[in-house]
Amino acid sequence: MSGKIVSLREAISTIADGETVALGGHTLRRHPMAAVVEIVRQRKRDLHLLGWNSGIDVDLLVGAGCARIVETSYVGISGFGLARNYRRAAETGTIEIREHSEISALDMFRAGSMGVPFMVSSVLMGTDVPATNPRISTVASPFSNQEYTAVAAAQPDVAIIHAHSADLHGNVQLDAAHWPDNDADIFIGWAGQRTIVTVEQLVSDEQIRLSPERTILPRDAVTYVVEAPYGAFPCSCDSRYTYDLAWIGDYYDASATPESFAEFLATWIFGTPDHESFLELVGLERLLGVATRGGVL
Amino acid sequence: MRDASVYEVMAVALSRQFGEKEHGFIGLGTGDRAFILAVGIPTVAAELAISRGADFSLQYGTLFDPDVGGMPETLGDPDLLRWRCAARVPVERCLDVFRRGLMTCSFISGAQIDRFGNLNSVRIGRGSRPDVRLTGPIAQADHAVFAQRTFVILPHERRVFVERVDFVSAPGYGTGAGWREKLGLPGGGPAKVITDKAVLGFDPASKQMTLESVHPGTTVAEVLDATGFDLLVLDEVQETEPPSEDELALIRERIDPAGKLLQVRIR
Repeated sequence: MSGKIVSLREAISTIADGETVALGGHTLRRHPMAAVVEIVRQRKRDLHLLGWNSGIDVDLLVGAGCARIVETSYVGISGFGLARNYRRAAETGTIEIREHSEISALDMFRAGSMGVPFMVSSVLMGTDVPATNPRISTVASPFSNQEYTAVAAAQPDVAIIHAHSADLHGNVQLDAAHWPDNDADIFIGWAGQRTIVTVEQLVSDEQIRLSPERTILPRDAVTYVVEAPYGAFPCSCDSRYTYDLAWIGDYYDASATPESFAEFLATWIFGTPDHESFLELVGLERLLGVATRGGVL
Repeated sequence: MRDASVYEVMAVALSRQFGEKEHGFIGLGTGDRAFILAVGIPTVAAELAISRGADFSLQYGTLFDPDVGGMPETLGDPDLLRWRCAARVPVERCLDVFRRGLMTCSFISGAQIDRFGNLNSVRIGRGSRPDVRLTGPIAQADHAVFAQRTFVILPHERRVFVERVDFVSAPGYGTGAGWREKLGLPGGGPAKVITDKAVLGFDPASKQMTLESVHPGTTVAEVLDATGFDLLVLDEVQETEPPSEDELALIRERIDPAGKLLQVRIR
């Protein structure tokens, strides 16, 4: 036993105020929501959030006052519309936003995971994005007169992703069927100085060794593993469960004003001491309602 | 047959822009009108081109050449993972297709556009704090830099077609002719802007947006009135060629029989 398997509370308690925290997931897909909720519960402050293609994860942390800087290519609640907490914080100046395109946001994690100082290409040339983000600058080609964009590597203090399974040593796997947009998580996980992985289930060492090609993070790339079934809820989790549009709709409605959102937080997050009691409040009917009927692909 | 809807007119107009061989990228956005503009219209247009014999490779995010007829009921993962396709590639490969220069055409939108086709999906207002914070640059910036041709699909409103965008998140022709070449942008820039009122192009000499055709039932005056900057107008503005009976039948009976693509579907 390596001491890698910890409770959600323990894992999140290692995050200090002001740290850089990268979150996995894509739009409404497989954000590490149980971990995000626990960050809110522990009232972390002044975090510098990094993401690739963000959604309710970043909006929730911003709405709960946990974030100071947001660095990602997108924050929205997909079909519902603009992320209202995020929007309010941007418009009142309580967060600083450092823009990215999808390529540059992935590039910072790719570079961080590869161990190179920056990525070079024509990305974002001719846009106003570099002026918002100190990570993005220009570099002259040593081979021609062409100037390029450099996107500096991100190696965040903490990277948090949600995956399907892990063993007690911390070897983390995805199901064979997984939505490839979430493969950004692999770069994010490898880029972290400390990497926290929540998983749907802990499995045996033998189970992991049956299909080693599905291991995305071997144990040395992982600091803590937390077993958190439905840990992406209300987001979707590949072939295991889909998103809960009704819950997200309630969230969206509650985020209309700071007052209604405070009530929402009081009920769902401060009113539930841990992930298990959060799931109890969600209720079995909803959880089974989003679970796929076809089983894991 | 029932008259063509405006979305059908837009899809058919877009389909006429395609060549014999294309690699197109369509995002998998969700929701209402944004879905129709970003996914539905390009999909129908590409399928029409395919039905005319074009070799059209369609990339939906990380999926290549999925069965459009079998598009899932929802864009939730369990459904999407069952969508039959020729390839499902890792996200970095999907984005490398942009940088590699393989995208012959792509489809983008935004909250504001100016006369040179520069787009904004980041913020309304130029002060230190935005008046309205929007979603962010997403992949639109990447399409606009790298795709050989971009097609911009927009609602035609004065607040969208503005004198100056408040933030350039996806570059068009910058400040005019020669700007992209001077910066060394690899892609070709916006080819056409297709709206619910008209088809617009860019003047080859000045790169200024130019009204080329108005959709059936729309007048030039209406288009000018819905545009917040001085549009160039072709000497002989045509009426956008309406969908033929055959094209309408194709759309309604084969490409989009359940109305998944050109009708609102998610809350």
